[in-house]
Amino acid sequence: MTPDRHTAQRERARRLRLDVADRSNGGEPAEEPGAGPTPEPAGRPPEQPPRERGAKPLPAAFDFMGALQGAIARGGDLPAALEGAAGALPESVRDVMHSAARRLRGEYSQDEWGFDEEFVEIVYPLFELMYDRWWRVTTTGVEHIPAHDRALLVANHAGVLPWDATMMSVAILKNHPLPRHPRFMVLDWAFRLPWASAFMRRVGGVVASPYNAIRLLEQGHLVMVFPEGTKGAGKPFSERYRLQRFGRGGFVELALRTGAPIIPVAIVGSEEIYPKLGESRLLARLSGAPYFPLTPTFPWLGLAGAVPLPSKWRIQFCEPIDLRAYGPEAAEDRALVFELSERVRETIQSAVYANLLARGSAFL
Amino acid sequence: MGRRVLITGVAGFWGTELARCLERSPEVEYIAGLDVRPPTADLAHTEFIRADIRNPLISKLLPQTRVDTVVHCDVLLVPEPGKAPEQLHDINVIGSLQLLAACEKTEEVRTIVVRGSSAIYGAEPNAPEFFTEDMARRFPFRTRFQRDIGELESYFENFARRFDHVSVTTLRYQPTLGTAIDSPLTRYLQHPVVPTQLGYDPLLQFVHAEDAVGALEAAVMRPVRGPVNVAGAGSVSLSRLLRLAGKVPLPIPAPLFSGALGIGGRLGLGRLPPEAVPWLRNGLTIDGTRLEEEVGFRPRSTLEAVEDFVEELHGRRVLPGLRTAATGNATDRNGRRARARARA
Repeated sequence: MTPDRHTAQRERARRLRLDVADRSNGGEPAEEPGAGPTPEPAGRPPEQPPRERGAKPLPAAFDFMGALQGAIARGGDLPAALEGAAGALPESVRDVMHSAARRLRGEYSQDEWGFDEEFVEIVYPLFELMYDRWWRVTTTGVEHIPAHDRALLVANHAGVLPWDATMMSVAILKNHPLPRHPRFMVLDWAFRLPWASAFMRRVGGVVASPYNAIRLLEQGHLVMVFPEGTKGAGKPFSERYRLQRFGRGGFVELALRTGAPIIPVAIVGSEEIYPKLGESRLLARLSGAPYFPLTPTFPWLGLAGAVPLPSKWRIQFCEPIDLRAYGPEAAEDRALVFELSERVRETIQSAVYANLLARGSAFL
Repeated sequence: MGRRVLITGVAGFWGTELARCLERSPEVEYIAGLDVRPPTADLAHTEFIRADIRNPLISKLLPQTRVDTVVHCDVLLVPEPGKAPEQLHDINVIGSLQLLAACEKTEEVRTIVVRGSSAIYGAEPNAPEFFTEDMARRFPFRTRFQRDIGELESYFENFARRFDHVSVTTLRYQPTLGTAIDSPLTRYLQHPVVPTQLGYDPLLQFVHAEDAVGALEAAVMRPVRGPVNVAGAGSVSLSRLLRLAGKVPLPIPAPLFSGALGIGGRLGLGRLPPEAVPWLRNGLTIDGTRLEEEVGFRPRSTLEAVEDFVEELHGRRVLPGLRTAATGNATDRNGRRARARARA
């Protein structure tokens, strides 16, 4: 993990716009044969293509509006009218229109949890940009994530908004040779909020409940949990990178019950995005939130205060811990559950310290 | 010797359809139907008993029929002809108590099947998805109907505990979707503009109209003890449902939604029961494994139910039973739709 390799990688990324297709593991040799032939990911996000040479944009737009108006006047429904009118547009724009019309007709897939892969691919470029440019994330150990079947990713939690979960997902999608969409447990408070609830569900969030986790694991998903919960996300800046207690060790029970390996994940950088200096009990009670953070920018700057600071991130996926030898009955064994929970916590804590040292300066 | 079955609420959609199914079954020897008004459909082999389920008289009537199976379909979410809104609580709770008292008097009874509702789980924002049967009553009941359903289920549970030789099955139904069914939900979905709650996109689950009675029939034929969820596999989000149906959503801020529904109801645009408000905000999904594995009935998936409903709405499915007839798992479903249309 020499710095010049990172520089080289960043350089290459700039040249190639580092797409998902480029799955060089951060920190691993870029030409590692294990990564194998990089599979073309299904259905790239429909990025706005450059205008076709020769097609004049303005007349095309007029033609389109005219055709759309005509179709609606003839009594067609909106998706059909959109599709018909798209004929007036250059082909590249037409494709985008077709997929938009298809979505408007409800013709997209959604699994039983409400996860909508197409939607994720539409919002993915934004998160990828955050990953590459804003937080300049370095990911290591992505090879520890199994390509198939269940696994429980256990990470430290920080930052008020679930940016750590998002960046972990991007890290997996970007670097893993067989990328899959991980699912994550979200504090139920988020599911009371408008928009947040709908958005979370679409990108793979579920209500933090052991029943949901077990069902997801049994279906063979990658499931992310943050056992620190709000204790981790809401701790003051002065206590950054000190892991809070891991609840009642419920995640160990899940892993024991389902036979899923635990993959400890250390995330460094998420503590600096919203340095929490204090909190307001009154505002928390008024908004019904578990806590109401006061940072140097929030809520003083309003929504602009919710823009995270550009700290430098490192994400390390540690070696999986296989618990299958204990058997599912061991989930009843309190002492064992606490012991394993503590072991995972210590693994993450030491990985967090190691990555803090490796990162150096927090922002540069 | 064949089965002797009594169906309560035989004049309603569920009772009539079940009687129709059971009339065709060779295993059933005798069917009695109990209701306050005669069924509109022609049920040639069903003996109609005109009686009010809330009346203690049924304790005298039931033993005379010597039935071994009682199917309780007279559990109402919405008013029906002859059953006014203010009577619903009485019918659901007092009616069930009277029925159980009558079952106690009838020595032959071995099987009781109740048409319950998934409302017992509650549509809560912090609820896990896919409730299993053992997860009922985790959340407080918020509406009259929920409390009634909870009370009703506990009566039947107590009865099952006291009378070990009787197997009591409660089917917890998700809402049924089909144009043949005239319910607040299907009326809600038939408006060109459908009010939704701004910023919420709940996961919903449905039962295909043609499977609704199938689950009851399966439970009569293969009784299991305790509650059983009835739902089409998978789920559909409200936004996708509306898009598939070609409806325009009308987002209303959530705190105003219930008030807006009330105004819509006054204007004659159709009413939704109070359960619908949290349901259309948080959604409710249940796990149908027990129905499939123990009762041996597999309803069509939620998405299939939605797709068929949409096709029927758009008049694209001319012969509703054709598809099921072709796959061979249905007997005669054409008549049912035609009759339901005629009634509407």
